[in-house]
Amino acid sequence: MDGQPLSALRDLFGERLFTSREQRICYSYDATGTMSLPDAVAFPVSAEEVRRTVLLANEHRFPVIPRGAGSGFSGGSVPVQGGLVLSLERMDRILSIDTENLVAVVEPGVVTETLKEEARKRGLFYPPDPASLKFCTIGGNIAECSGGMCAVKYGVTRDYVMGLEAVLGTGELIRTGVTTVKGVVGYDLTRLLVGSEGTLGIVTKAILKLIPFPETAATILAFFRSNHDGSSAVAGIIRERITPCAMELMDRTAIDCVREEADLPVPDDAGCALLIEVDGPRESVSTEADRVEQACRQYGAIEVGRAGDAKGRERLWTLRRSISPALRKVNPVKINEDIVVPRSRLPEMMAFLADVASRRNLKIVNFGHAGDGNVHVNVMISGTDEEERRRADEAVSEIFGKTVALGGTISGEHGIGISKAPFLEMEVGPLGVSVMKRLKGCFDPNGILNPGKIFMEEQMAQR
Amino acid sequence: MSREELAPLTLACAKCGTCRTVCTLYPERKAEISVARGKVALVDAAISGLDGNAEALQEALSDCLLCGRCERACPNQVRVEEIIMKGRADLAEEMGIPAWKQVVFGRVMPSAAAKNAARTAAASAQKLFLRKVPTGSGLHYRFPEKFGWEGRTVPALPGTSFLGSLAHGEAVRGEVILFVGCVFDHVFPQVGRAAYETLRRSGKKISVFRDAACCGLPALVSGDKASALRCVEENIGRLSAASPERIVFPCGSCLLMFRRNVLSFLPKGHPLYGQAVRVADLCEDYASFLLETGVVSRLPDPPKGEKAGRIGYHDPCHLSGTLGKGGEGREVLRRAVGDSFAEMKGADLCCGYGGTFNIRDYPTSARIGQNKVSVAAEGGTAVIATACSGCILQMRDMAARTDPSLRVVHLAELVFQAISHR
Ligand SMILES: Cc1cc2nc3c(=O)[nH]c(=O)nc-3n(C[C@H](O)[C@H](O)[C@H](O)COP(=O)(O)OP(=O)(O)OC[C@H]3O[C@@H](n4cnc5c(N)ncnc54)[C@H](O)[C@@H]3O)c2cc1C
Ligand code: SF4
Ligand code: SF4
Repeated sequence: MDGQPLSALRDLFGERLFTSREQRICYSYDATGTMSLPDAVAFPVSAEEVRRTVLLANEHRFPVIPRGAGSGFSGGSVPVQGGLVLSLERMDRILSIDTENLVAVVEPGVVTETLKEEARKRGLFYPPDPASLKFCTIGGNIAECSGGMCAVKYGVTRDYVMGLEAVLGTGELIRTGVTTVKGVVGYDLTRLLVGSEGTLGIVTKAILKLIPFPETAATILAFFRSNHDGSSAVAGIIRERITPCAMELMDRTAIDCVREEADLPVPDDAGCALLIEVDGPRESVSTEADRVEQACRQYGAIEVGRAGDAKGRERLWTLRRSISPALRKVNPVKINEDIVVPRSRLPEMMAFLADVASRRNLKIVNFGHAGDGNVHVNVMISGTDEEERRRADEAVSEIFGKTVALGGTISGEHGIGISKAPFLEMEVGPLGVSVMKRLKGCFDPNGILNPGKIFMEEQMAQR
Repeated sequence: MSREELAPLTLACAKCGTCRTVCTLYPERKAEISVARGKVALVDAAISGLDGNAEALQEALSDCLLCGRCERACPNQVRVEEIIMKGRADLAEEMGIPAWKQVVFGRVMPSAAAKNAARTAAASAQKLFLRKVPTGSGLHYRFPEKFGWEGRTVPALPGTSFLGSLAHGEAVRGEVILFVGCVFDHVFPQVGRAAYETLRRSGKKISVFRDAACCGLPALVSGDKASALRCVEENIGRLSAASPERIVFPCGSCLLMFRRNVLSFLPKGHPLYGQAVRVADLCEDYASFLLETGVVSRLPDPPKGEKAGRIGYHDPCHLSGTLGKGGEGREVLRRAVGDSFAEMKGADLCCGYGGTFNIRDYPTSARIGQNKVSVAAEGGTAVIATACSGCILQMRDMAARTDPSLRVVHLAELVFQAISHR
C-alpha cells in the first residue's frame, strides 16, 4: 500500500489508523503463531466506516483482513498478502437483548463471554462455548462457525445466528436472515456467511438466538482402562438416548500430561477418561446422571465420580482444563488439528491415532469433544528437528486421509485459513472447490477480502 | 537486545490471547500493543532484527503497569514481567538513560543521606508552591493546573523520617530486621512506626535496617539496571552479613524485588548471587509475620458490631497476585477490626500506579485509579487497608482528588490502633 490509499484511510480513521512498525507487528499474527506484517491497521466503529474502507480497497486494490481477537487456530486473521487489518475489537456493543423474543443483537467485536454473561443475567443462554470464550469475539466465532464442549447437545455458532449485517467485498451493505424463529425466503445467505472466514463479507452486526438457561447440571468423571472402553461408553450413552451437554474424552497421553497436577486421584491403570455433563430440569438431570453412571460402569469404567454442586463440578473439570496448558511438557511445539468423525467410528479413529504415533515415532496427545466425534489431535514436536517435523507433516496428512475415509471432516471448528488450505480439495472435491470459488467471485469480485485464505494460491489463479 | 537471554522466554508464548482478558491497560488502549502478547511479539521482533527502532520499542514496552495479571493468567507460564523488564533494560542500554533518571535512580535512591536531603528539600518546596487539600488520610498538596498533571495531589512530606524519629540506640540490634522501604520511611513515617511497634509485639527483638538503599525496583522497571544493581549490592551485602532470622517488609513491591526480581536480573556469576538467594528466603510480608508469630491472635477482641463492613482490603498486584499473599492480609485485618472488615468491591482491581507508569502517563494512571476507588466506595467501603507503598500513594491521591473522606491506610496502622486503643 502506498501514500494515496494510506492518506485516504487517514482521512477516514484519523487516530484510529495505525501505521507504525510496532503497531503493525502487533497485528501480524493469530494463535497459530504464523506472522505476516500488514501495511496498516484500522479500528472502525461503525458499519459505515467498514463500508467506506472496502470501497477504498476496491478503488486502490489493497487487501482487507477482518480481525476479531486474533485467537484463530488456522491463520484466518493473518495478513499473508499485507494490506489493511480491519480490527473490529472496538465495535463491541451489545445493542439489545430482547427477553420476550429471545434475541440478542450485537456488534461483531463483543467478546463471547460478555454476551453469555449478559444473557445469563436475564436467565437466558447463549450456548456456543469455544474454549477461547473469554477473549474471542462473536465476529470471529461467526466467521469460523466456532463450536465448543456443548455442541453435542446445543450445536455450534451457526445454530444461533438468525441474521447478519455485513459489508460484502464490493462494499455493499447487506442484511440477511430474519428476526423470527422461521424464515425461508430465498437462499440462506446467513448460513453461507457463517464459517466463511472473512472471505465473503465483514460482519458488522449479528442477530443471535438465545434460549432459556438450563435449571441445573451434574458432572460425571469416569476412568477406563482403554480408549476402546471409553469410546464404547460414549456410543453406549448416546444409544441410551441421553444427550449430555458435554462429553469430553481424554486418552492416555492426555491423562499422563495432567496426572501430577490434577488435584484429584487418577487411577494408575487409567488409559482413558470421560467427562460428561448433563443439564436441564432438576428431576431429569438426576435420573440422566444415574443412567450415565450406569452406562460407564457397564462399559468397564474402573472409577466413576459425580458432582452436582458448582464447586465439585469445577473440580472434576480441572482435569480437562489443565490439559492444554500442560501440553508443553511433552514437547514445545504443537501441531493442532481438530478432526471430526461420525461418533460410531470414534473407537476406530482413536486406535488409528495410537497406531500412527507409534509407527511414526511421534508424541501425539488426543482429547476432545467425543460427544460429537470431534477430536483435538496434538502432534507435539521439538520444533528444532527437521526430520521430526517431516514425520509430523506426513502423520497429519495420513490422519486427514483416514478422517475423510471414515466419513468425517478435517476441521470441526478451527476453519481452513492458511493451515488447512492444502487439504481443502481432499475433502470437498474439485467441483466443491470450483463452486466455492465461483461464490467467492460473486461476493468479492476483486479478491479484496482476506486473500490467500481457504483456497491455495494456484487454485485462485486458475479462476 | 540480548537474544540468548530473551529468546527462550519469548518462545514460550503461544500467541493464544488469554492475556487480553486480564490486562489492566487493555480497556484503556483497546489495542493489541498494550497486552502481553503484543509486547512479547515486539521483544521478539527486536531480538530477531525485525524492528530496530529502539525508541519506539521502548515507548511500547513502557506502556505497561507491570501488574503481572497477564503472567498469572497465562496458560503457558510466560514470564511476561521479566521479558518486559529485561527488554526495557536492554533498550535503555542501547539508548542511554535520561539525565534526570540517572540522578534520581543512580545517586539519590541508593543513598540514605541523599534521600533525607531530597525529602527535606521537597517538603519545603511543597509548602511554598502547592495548594493544600486536607483528606481522611492526612494533608495532601495539589499541583496547579499549569503543571498539566490533571489535578495530581501529593502527600505532605514530613519534617522527619521514621528512621530519623527513632531514639538513639533504638532498634539497632535484633534477630528480625524490618525493611521499611523509602515511602514508609520518608513519605508516610507513621506507617514505618506502626509496622515497627506492631512487629515488636511478636516478642522478637526487632531491628530496623538503617542506611538502607532503595530496594531498586523503581530503577529496575525504568530499565536502569546499573542503578538497580547499585541498590541491590548496597543492601544484599549488609542484610546477609547481619544474618537475621527474618526480614519483614511492610511494602509488597519491595518484597517482590527481594524475593524474585533480584534473582532474575542478577547475573548467575555475580559475586552476590548466592547471598541474594539466601536473603530472598528470609524475606517475608508483614501480615504473614504477624500471623506466624501470633501477634494477631494475641490482639484484644475487636469491638462488636461497629459499623460493619466499612473497612476493605485492597489486593496489591505484587503482593496478593504475584506472591500469592492475599489471604494473610485479610486475616490480619479481620483480627484487627472484626466486623468492620468486609470484602471490598473490586478488591483485586489494579490501582493503576505502576511505579514509573504513573509519572509517564498520569491521566491514564489516574483513570484506572479513580475507577478503582469509586468502585470500592460505591460498594460501601470507607477505609481501604492495604500493604504496598505504591498502592497507598496512588489511592490517597485518587481520594484527595475526588473523595477526601475516603481513607487509605496501611494494615499496620489499623493493627497499631487496635493494640493502642483497647
Ligand atoms: C486457547 C484457545 C482455545 C480455542 N478453543 C476453541 C474451541 O473450543 N472451539 C473453537 O471453535 N475454536 C477455538 N479456538 C479458536 C478461535 O478462538 C476461534 O476460531 C474464534 O472464533 C476466533 O475468534 P477471534 O475473534 O479471535 O477471531 P480472529 O482469530 O481474529 O479471526 C478469525 C477469522 O474470522 C475472521 N473475522 C473476524 N471477525 C470478523 C468479522 N467481523 N467479519 C468477518 N470475518 C471476521 C477473520 O478474518 C479470520 O478469518 C481456540 C483458540 C484458542 C487460542
Ligand atoms: S496468555 Fe501467555 S501464551 Fe497466551 S498470548 Fe499471552 S503471554 Fe502468550
Ligand atoms: S503487566 Fe499488567 S498492564 Fe502490563 S501487559 Fe501485563 S496485564 Fe497488561
